[in-house]
Amino acid sequence: MRDMAMPRTPVCIAGIGVVSAAGADVPATLNTFATGRRNPSNSLPFESTIACPTFQVDADLPVLPPRYNNCRSLRLTMHAVRQALEDSAISRFDSATRVGICIGTTVASQLNNIPFYSAYRRDPDRSLDPVIDYLHANLARAVGDLLHTAGPRMTIVNACSSGTDAIGVASSWINSGLCDIAIAGGADELSRVAIAGFWSLGVMSSQPCAPFDRDRSGLNLGEGAGILILESAAHAQRRGKSHSFEIAGFGAACDAHHLTAPHPEGRGLDAAIQTTLSQAKITPKKIAFINAHGTATTDNDRAEGKVISRIFGSDFPFLSTKGFTGHTLGAAGGIEGIFTVLGLREGWLPASPGFVNQADDIPIAPTRARTAIRGEYAMSTSLAFGGNNSVVLIRRIA
Amino acid sequence: MIPAATILGIGAVTPIGRDLTEISRKLATDPGPLPRLFRVNDDLLSEPNIARSMRRADRFIKMATLAALDASTRSENACAGIPKEQIGLIVTSGLGPHCRGFKFLDDILDHGDSDALPTDFSHSVHGAAASYIAGLLDLRGPSLTTTDFEIGFEQAVLLAQSWLHHGTCKRVLVGAVEELGDTMIQMASRIPAAKNLSSAEGAVFLMLGNSDVPGLATIDAVSPPQKTDLLAIDDPAILLDNNNPISITARQTVTFTPYFGHSAGSSAFQLLGALLSLAARCPLGKPIASAPQPTTPSIVDNATTFRTSCGQPATLRIATR
Repeated sequence: MRDMAMPRTPVCIAGIGVVSAAGADVPATLNTFATGRRNPSNSLPFESTIACPTFQVDADLPVLPPRYNNCRSLRLTMHAVRQALEDSAISRFDSATRVGICIGTTVASQLNNIPFYSAYRRDPDRSLDPVIDYLHANLARAVGDLLHTAGPRMTIVNACSSGTDAIGVASSWINSGLCDIAIAGGADELSRVAIAGFWSLGVMSSQPCAPFDRDRSGLNLGEGAGILILESAAHAQRRGKSHSFEIAGFGAACDAHHLTAPHPEGRGLDAAIQTTLSQAKITPKKIAFINAHGTATTDNDRAEGKVISRIFGSDFPFLSTKGFTGHTLGAAGGIEGIFTVLGLREGWLPASPGFVNQADDIPIAPTRARTAIRGEYAMSTSLAFGGNNSVVLIRRIA
Repeated sequence: MIPAATILGIGAVTPIGRDLTEISRKLATDPGPLPRLFRVNDDLLSEPNIARSMRRADRFIKMATLAALDASTRSENACAGIPKEQIGLIVTSGLGPHCRGFKFLDDILDHGDSDALPTDFSHSVHGAAASYIAGLLDLRGPSLTTTDFEIGFEQAVLLAQSWLHHGTCKRVLVGAVEELGDTMIQMASRIPAAKNLSSAEGAVFLMLGNSDVPGLATIDAVSPPQKTDLLAIDDPAILLDNNNPISITARQTVTFTPYFGHSAGSSAFQLLGALLSLAARCPLGKPIASAPQPTTPSIVDNATTFRTSCGQPATLRIATR
């Protein structure tokens, strides 16, 4: 597969915006990384009989028009979109600019309103306002409506790789000439349904998560949004803007193995990584670090650790930031793509939060302390239900 | 701009059948009185060869998987020798597997958050169908599930064209699937804007290849054509809507909705009807009375489906090679 992929034209990263339990914006997030402070919460924002830590956003989210305002995932999205547009020095889009919108999510794509559904079961004649809200909550469409844009749009529901996949799709649109600018990333809110679901699968921990650790016991859920503004080089030139970062490659491959578990040898992730290296025409030695998926489940971390060690060697710097954010599902790829940009920009990585002891079943250990980073390229990896594996390669050019 | 793709194989599970010859025959006859709901017959969802693999699958997954398998089987020769890593998959659905989703909500409410069934959760995510398809066909290229209530299929074909053009894949299996379920039927019946979202079910899948590969027809989601032999529209009311003018000149205009019903995946079913019209070289479906029609029967060499979303047109143009 890697031999037949055409070299991609790099896509400029014009701006970034992020919100998670690690911080309401980029500066707050970097402060969290610098201090190593984790803030899992033991109380949920809704009723549930499951006791587990979650990573919640503490931010003043934008107030949206009435039909959109009840969708927290959309409010998280717009919080990050507005940051990213400001970072891009884009205040509005003119009618001639084709703007693609590609957002990954899980919770917003389903009718997950349990209080409403509980009441509906008792009284089917009650108001259906929550259903109408849900029908307006297709994230890509809603963002396009709110920003009055024209161009391709897509809401990706590829489970935990959705955000990374959205970056890949948006990049392909720009490379195909279908749009000049794209708003890409992911968003997800905490959901009682998701908590019950992952609990039922036996992959959630009742402790703060410890990705790649010997004593890891499962994931914690989180919420947030990560949005990148992507731009063609030609459009950036017309705007008179230079960029410091670009999407240098994207790879995706399916394990075709199991509905929820990754391939034990990580064959799909391996293929996706090799694709990005081939697109950028670089060797693994050129990669400065990886922001790994690292959910702290037994299977994910083992498979992912094996692949990273196999391709990059056992001394290679990598980390999982889910110890700061929780697993934000559809948002993860967008958030972690931005964290990858920040690692290249700032020149350092924090200690992988939650990690203490190397695991016997993982031949590599993540960062144990603040680690200086030098290099042009870094990767963000995402693995998902259904065996989806997606990798985005980011390059610092200035 | 990216070129059109080639359709190499078609698979469909519809309210009027799964066999393409039988579907074509029914599209050539008057649809008769319209049912309130357009359901897929349960008999169509049986496939003994894969019964064990499908033992936990629900209707949503079965419809998608069987349509995908049919498209794959019918394009077997065109995919021979293509490594599995070079075959991609894109599945789109508006409502997703909502029946399983509501069942999971029932689990939570009836048995408690910590006693809900894991199988119901894992099968209630939008991507479950893609996972089954990829597993059964051993597809190891990129796999994507998307959601949109209007133009999901058009966007999926557009992305498939991009993947093929850039060499991401050599083949892409792309499809749409929707299911009927009592809860959404009841809810949608009370929401005027949603009345077309939950009255039909089924799945349509296409195996696509690059434009230089011989196949059944070409398909292009990039640019609306100015002229077309056959225009297929999901909702004829759009012809009377001044806010959504169709700037395509069509020799004849039909709808396949009286056969397949309305759903978020309607575009895929309109495209199916249009493809079968190309194969028959004559227009199938129900002519729309308010649109110009030719005075003599005309040969159909190309066709276009048309929808709008947020005031933007979304079209799929197909043409015989």
